[in-house]
Amino acid sequence: MPAVSKGDGMRGLAVFISDIRNCKSKEAEIKRINKELANIRSKFKGDKALDGYSKKKYVCKLLFIFLLGHDIDFGHMEAVNLLSSNKYTEKQIGYLFISVLVNSNSDLIRLINNAIKNDLSSRNPTYMNLALHCIANVGSREMAEAFASEVPRILVAGDTMDSVKQSAALCLLRLNRTCPDLVPMGEWTSRVVHLLNDQHLGVVTAATSLISTLAQKNPDDFKTSVSLAVARLSRIVTSASTDLQDYTYYFVAAPWLSVKLLRLLQCYPPPEDGAIRGRLTECLETILNKAQEPPKSKKVQHSNAKNAVLFEAISLIIHHDSEPTLLVRACNQLGQFLQHRETNLRYLALESMCTLASSEFSHEAVKTHIETVINSLKTERDVSVRQRAVDLLYAMCDRSNAKQIVTEMLSYLETADYSIREEIVLKVAILAEKYAVDYTWYVDTILNLIRIAGDYVSEEVWYRVIQIVINRDDVQGYAAKTVFEALQAPACHENLVKVGGYILGEFGNLIAGDPRSSPLVQFHLLHSKFHLCSVPTRALLLSAYVKFINLFPEVKGTIQEVLRSDSQLRNADVELQQRAVEYLRLSCIATTDILATVLEEMPPFPERESSILAKLKKKKGSGTVSDIEDSRKERNVNANANVNGSSDHTITNTSAKPPPSFACDLLATAPPPTNRPRPIPSSSMLHTPLTPLSPKAYTPQPVTPTVPFYQVTSSPSSDLLGLGNSSAVNSASPPTSSHAASLLVDVFSESLPVAALGSASAHVIEENFSRFVCKNNGVLFESQLLQIGLKSEFRQNLGRMYIFYGNKTSTQFLNFSSSVVCPEPLSSQLNIHMKAADPVLDGGAQLQQILNIECISDFVEAPVLNIQFRYGGSTQNISVRLPVTLNKFFQPTEMTSQDFFQRWKQLSAPQQEVQKIFKAKHSMDTEITKAKIIGFGTALLDGVDPNPSNFVGAGVIHTKTIQVGCLLRLEPNTQAQMYRLTLRTSRESVTQRLSNLLSDQF
Amino acid sequence: MMRFLLLFSRQGKLRLQKWFLPMTEREKKKIIRDMTTMVLARKPRTCNFLHWRDLKIVYKRYASLYFCCGLEDQDNELLALEVLHRYVELLDKYFGSVCELDIIFNFEKAYFILDEFLMGGEIQETSKQSIAKSIEASDMLQETMEEYMSKPAF
Repeated sequence: MPAVSKGDGMRGLAVFISDIRNCKSKEAEIKRINKELANIRSKFKGDKALDGYSKKKYVCKLLFIFLLGHDIDFGHMEAVNLLSSNKYTEKQIGYLFISVLVNSNSDLIRLINNAIKNDLSSRNPTYMNLALHCIANVGSREMAEAFASEVPRILVAGDTMDSVKQSAALCLLRLNRTCPDLVPMGEWTSRVVHLLNDQHLGVVTAATSLISTLAQKNPDDFKTSVSLAVARLSRIVTSASTDLQDYTYYFVAAPWLSVKLLRLLQCYPPPEDGAIRGRLTECLETILNKAQEPPKSKKVQHSNAKNAVLFEAISLIIHHDSEPTLLVRACNQLGQFLQHRETNLRYLALESMCTLASSEFSHEAVKTHIETVINSLKTERDVSVRQRAVDLLYAMCDRSNAKQIVTEMLSYLETADYSIREEIVLKVAILAEKYAVDYTWYVDTILNLIRIAGDYVSEEVWYRVIQIVINRDDVQGYAAKTVFEALQAPACHENLVKVGGYILGEFGNLIAGDPRSSPLVQFHLLHSKFHLCSVPTRALLLSAYVKFINLFPEVKGTIQEVLRSDSQLRNADVELQQRAVEYLRLSCIATTDILATVLEEMPPFPERESSILAKLKKKKGSGTVSDIEDSRKERNVNANANVNGSSDHTITNTSAKPPPSFACDLLATAPPPTNRPRPIPSSSMLHTPLTPLSPKAYTPQPVTPTVPFYQVTSSPSSDLLGLGNSSAVNSASPPTSSHAASLLVDVFSESLPVAALGSASAHVIEENFSRFVCKNNGVLFESQLLQIGLKSEFRQNLGRMYIFYGNKTSTQFLNFSSSVVCPEPLSSQLNIHMKAADPVLDGGAQLQQILNIECISDFVEAPVLNIQFRYGGSTQNISVRLPVTLNKFFQPTEMTSQDFFQRWKQLSAPQQEVQKIFKAKHSMDTEITKAKIIGFGTALLDGVDPNPSNFVGAGVIHTKTIQVGCLLRLEPNTQAQMYRLTLRTSRESVTQRLSNLLSDQF
Repeated sequence: MMRFLLLFSRQGKLRLQKWFLPMTEREKKKIIRDMTTMVLARKPRTCNFLHWRDLKIVYKRYASLYFCCGLEDQDNELLALEVLHRYVELLDKYFGSVCELDIIFNFEKAYFILDEFLMGGEIQETSKQSIAKSIEASDMLQETMEEYMSKPAF
């Protein structure tokens, strides 16, 4: 009977397909297709009604044309007509066309849904299956809406045929995946769970798929499935290979169902019930035992099916992570597979072992296979297997084997497939850092990485090595020496030039004693690479040169000569030109003291999670590998974890929390680096920081309005040096031109009185500032790009402000950083701590930053929030006045009329009172006025003033050093639209400030 | 679940495409292009699995045809190989020594058989007998050959 029905039913279709196949060229094919499309179109449009057969044939031709990769824009209606045909084959073709071709054309969907509805209620299982398939194939929201309640009903109805149940279960699963909200759990859930007991293994298989997916989302609703699944699994595992008839696949009993049951069990922790747990353990042991038995067939299908079950069982064992014996057995089994002659099994064993390596019980067992894994890295012919080997080495790495693994990965890198080089580079960089026992090894490793695979070394990697060298003074001399040697190579990678330039610029002095690496030699070495490098690298090198001028006065002349050359001063690139001009000028004009301060050694970077790890995660999706890494507990508790204290990089920076620093590091005013206190490098006398300049005399006034300030910036972060932007520039130098300019201007204008520089704060935006005097939440700033919202709360002399940055564009903001600046004398009156913000603000996303505020004493000015980020290639700077005002530290005080007037009299000295008469700016609504006074922070005292239309308030300002009581009286004159505001406090400055703040509000 | 199943020839000609999640035509074309180039570039006797984006790709060659499917992370690769094999067996049983031409000329049958076997990317029925029986049953519903032959070809 297949012979009858082999599609020879549609001769026209077969003829058309042969025609297409006989076409000699693409053009001929298109010509033939267009001819056919014209023919079909005319038939469909023709007056003569087409019979079902012709319709079916033409729809089928359209389908064929579509599957060849051509667009089809008609025929949908005819296909829908076929759905309601009572001839099965016509209906079937109609459904096929809809399944393959329908997009969410809603008009059509309504018609289709009608046809489906009819077929679902036809009680003809064949038709019902067609309809359910169509729902599952299209699976659009409209369909889910129409059938989400109908399908579960069919699934659990007592009289539904088995084959329909199977379709209904999977159809429901499909709807649940697209529109989980439309498929509510209902009373049918428990009946679905009981399908696990069904006689028909096909039904059980389909139901298990459904339950696994639902259980992942609602584990509690399907808890009862665990015991049923274990029972079912146990029956399958112990059955003889022929018991299950056609559900035995190449002598393996129901492999699909077994795998699905094992998968379902992975939605849950090990069963609590001892009996069930025991039974499950037995099942797993049986599966492991079977792996050791001789195969019942030589066919690959047999071993595949058997091993599929075995791998799924191992996944469950790893998931439970509770039975050490099973875990070790699993590991041994995988160990055998590592050397299996089937490539597939080697691949899967490597992959599985990766997860096994994260288990505490089996990590050591996995490690015993290190030689085999390294061997597969070297000998495996298939790149995808080698990649799994890299993953496994990464996962099994710990302090005891890090050196071996890193060495092997490095040597593999030389010949590695290009597609996986970057990933290997990241992995090596992470392992080298994480398990570095001494940092000379770390530096060597990274330099090797750059040498071997420089093109694949991303910025994160080389930023990180610099960050670590800067933060660890025990490795600086070694690093300088090593990069110096590495740079000797006639051809070295640009990344090496960058690292070399940076490190020699900072620490070249540490090796300058050796005549072979004298300052001049170092300079010539760097400069020999200059002309081969890209603009960002050249920019970095220029900064290194100017740092050399500071480190080695004897080469000043040589370097000035270079800077002065036309190729620098007149460089076509504006960044390079500007640097050359400014550095040259700086070196000519500034005294050695100023030079030394401007070009001081970089302060240590704050410790943070390696951004390389983040990058690897990103690269791998939510990559399994790095998660393992994170979750793995450090097992080698006593295994030399502390052999060398320096292996823990947090040590240097335990003092990282910066106290207010007035030792103005000029460089700190350039945005990316932050003003951090620096530990005095003990290793080098040359680097004893120069005496800080008197802040009064030399405080630079760049775009940020003030210094001395105490600023706890969120550093631009994960890009380590704040160089994330394309024109990546050394942060040791002023990074962007505008800042560079302002910095240098300040150096030149050192004698300018400080007051004259106050105008720098003119750019601060404060248009919304006064809105926040009487309230704590709202939008502070909004532009095309960015919205800043505030939420704050204050109690006594403490406050907390949540700043929300909303990216209004669809593009990422990079190098996002913010800092709060308190101009003198505010810096001694307010303490503000800010947690660092994430450096990347995704398009449409919001970022929250928390500000902790402490009021030390009363104050007048408000702090300024400086924000910087890169958007579309340019750096955006925004400065907004933050509404931290004195009245925020009010505590309301309730008092009687008598008390009020007694205190009022006590504060009668002229300097204690401020009175203002002003015109109302807003309508003089009593309720609003009351709300404003309460919002201002004082208590609103009722019945105190003899005139009921007057408002009286009292409160105490809390600061750390003093408390200031405050009384206020507001007298409205509605006729004149005027107010008179009288404030009395014990402190003149407070009275004045509060009066100014409040009078603005009415 | 399986995300897609593709059948293509050694020349990269697509013979069958089944998508288990809605996707734009653009995405489909991209996947088809990536799969054919990736899989066809594989050397013989390499393993049957690949990683591609967040999917596991499992493929196997049968004569001139490549069967290639994309799996989600938690799916079992070995068993997916046997899904492909079972599908080949089903085609073989229906057409009798199936070859690429059978699938070209009877593509709609290839889809119908697949629908009996997989649904929404999950196995619906693994028993060869059950599937064969239901395909047989639907064939019985077809009009007889004579009935068809009497109809005009165009």
